[in-house]
Amino acid sequence: MSFLLSLAFKNLSRYRRRTMITAGALAVGLIFFIFMDGWLQGAERESERNIIWYESGSAKVMTSEYLDDLKTMPLKHAIENPDAVEQVLEGTGVTTTRRTVFAGEIFYGEGSLYVKVVAVDPQTDGKIYRLSETVAEGRYLEPDEQGVVLGEWLAQDLGIQVGEEITIRTRTRYGAFQTFDLIVVGVLNSPNPMINKGTAFIPLSLADELLEMEGAVTELTLYFPEWQNPESKIQSLQDRLSVLPGLTVESWKDLARDFLMIAQAKSAGSGILLVLVFIIAAVGISNTMLMAVYERVREIGMMRAMGMKDGAIRTTFLFEAGGIGLIGAVIGVGLGVVINWLMVTRGIDMTALMGQMDIGYRVTGIFYAAWHPQAIVGGFVFGVIAAMLFSIIPSSRALKMEITDCLRYE
Amino acid sequence: MIKVEKVTKDYTVGQTKVHALRGVSLGIEKGEFLSIAGPSGSGKTTLLNLIGCLDKATSGEIYIAGEAVSTKNKKQLALLRRKHLGFVFQSFNLIPVLSAYENVSFALSLLGVNGAQIKKRTYDLLEEVGLKGMETRLPGELSGGQQQRVAVARALIKEPDMVLADEPTANLDSDTGHEILDLMVALNKKHGTTFVFSTHDQMVMDYARRLVKLHDGEITSDERTGS
Repeated sequence: MSFLLSLAFKNLSRYRRRTMITAGALAVGLIFFIFMDGWLQGAERESERNIIWYESGSAKVMTSEYLDDLKTMPLKHAIENPDAVEQVLEGTGVTTTRRTVFAGEIFYGEGSLYVKVVAVDPQTDGKIYRLSETVAEGRYLEPDEQGVVLGEWLAQDLGIQVGEEITIRTRTRYGAFQTFDLIVVGVLNSPNPMINKGTAFIPLSLADELLEMEGAVTELTLYFPEWQNPESKIQSLQDRLSVLPGLTVESWKDLARDFLMIAQAKSAGSGILLVLVFIIAAVGISNTMLMAVYERVREIGMMRAMGMKDGAIRTTFLFEAGGIGLIGAVIGVGLGVVINWLMVTRGIDMTALMGQMDIGYRVTGIFYAAWHPQAIVGGFVFGVIAAMLFSIIPSSRALKMEITDCLRYE
Repeated sequence: MIKVEKVTKDYTVGQTKVHALRGVSLGIEKGEFLSIAGPSGSGKTTLLNLIGCLDKATSGEIYIAGEAVSTKNKKQLALLRRKHLGFVFQSFNLIPVLSAYENVSFALSLLGVNGAQIKKRTYDLLEEVGLKGMETRLPGELSGGQQQRVAVARALIKEPDMVLADEPTANLDSDTGHEILDLMVALNKKHGTTFVFSTHDQMVMDYARRLVKLHDGEITSDERTGS
């Protein structure tokens, strides 16, 4: 066995350039794999966090009718008695805050834009959401004030500055038109693009008064630590809320279904891309081994003539291909880890891109990668094993030849 | 030791059937220094391949130490070659990435001989074939004659019953050819190893103690020259 290993190792240096090119192809495939996987993992994890911190908390309680018509956000389907809901949820380890979300049109100068207006309770909102930490200009909302905070891209689209006045037009809970003027007190630059794009925040007490809500709210945001696997928690909360008919608890996963579907589709797409990369590496290794085998047919004939078993000859080629795989895997994983480390610590600034387009991820600005050790180890092992497997067909072909044909082979 | 009985070998080339051997019978005794001679296409390499268990006869039988070769499967033949036969090829067929020492010791490692034994026997034999001090050289760093000496050492290291050499001097100049043949004669005498050559080179024929001539797949003469 040690002779076979030594022969395989020496054969690697026999075609040094070819070995390095093939190992390089595999390395590029692995670098790409680790880069893409780390990037997607990072974007997904950050998106999930940004959904929890800025968009939906762990879950929301709302009426079934409001949920069914979530796109139009009808105030008439609000939760009439949020106090009762909070009482039912007491002792469940859940943190709550109240919000009223409705559609409105913002007028400024000669332009107008349809936006989502979120009325928040500035005193309790910070227990779940981290919006107040993302103020880019001005300040965050104060209770009962006649002010509004806008997402940064929305403010840019409107061309509005902090301190200026805007008009919001909407309908009250009973369908009557309502128009009110508000001072822009702050601009938010959130890591979640949904906040920056088209959301305006106003104090809940102001919405209650202007929209004739009479204490009703459209949703209660919940936070619980088990948000990553919320299913059983949601079920237990839903069971407790059954005493208040017409209410439903929706997890962040249900509310951010669009993101999860896009993330899943992107992972699948990236998977296909990775398969393609590995096919290229596989073709490289197969081709290299095929050339190596055919250049050594007479040698193979000599070894068989001397009584070396076919299995031992095949093992030599397996070791040789494994050696190429090992070189490629060491280089690929080494550089892939370095690149991933840079991506984890420094990230890639995607601000310009994210402002222009929606790629589904709830990330703005800098995209950070995450560590995914299983993928790194898996990529390494796969690289070596795949390389070995790709050598089987070429070596088997030569071993099918008669020994006398091998010895005559030119 | 070896008995070839009415052996035929047919090949099909395209749509044409070629009768490479037509009922050849031959007996080879231990310690012989035998040359199978004949022009190109006479069937000498085919006969050598059959004796070396590298190919199978179309009909007839070959017995090695009393055992019929045709009854053996691929693995048994490989084992037989490994233990009992050594080969020297026209183009040396050394492994270019292995040193002279490694090319020779490789044949012993196939037999599972222990490391210390391999080392001693390989160094001794390399010295015997005149390659002392060149053990670490790669084939590319050796002359044609030196490479063929390595090949001879590789064939002899496992102390086979018989060494089969296919045109062993064809790629060598005349002086080097003489050197190799002198070496083989000396080894034949010292170790009692049977040598069987295929050749169309008169120089090789002159060295042989027995000369079997083939023509169109048939033995036309079988003479003991006594040289």
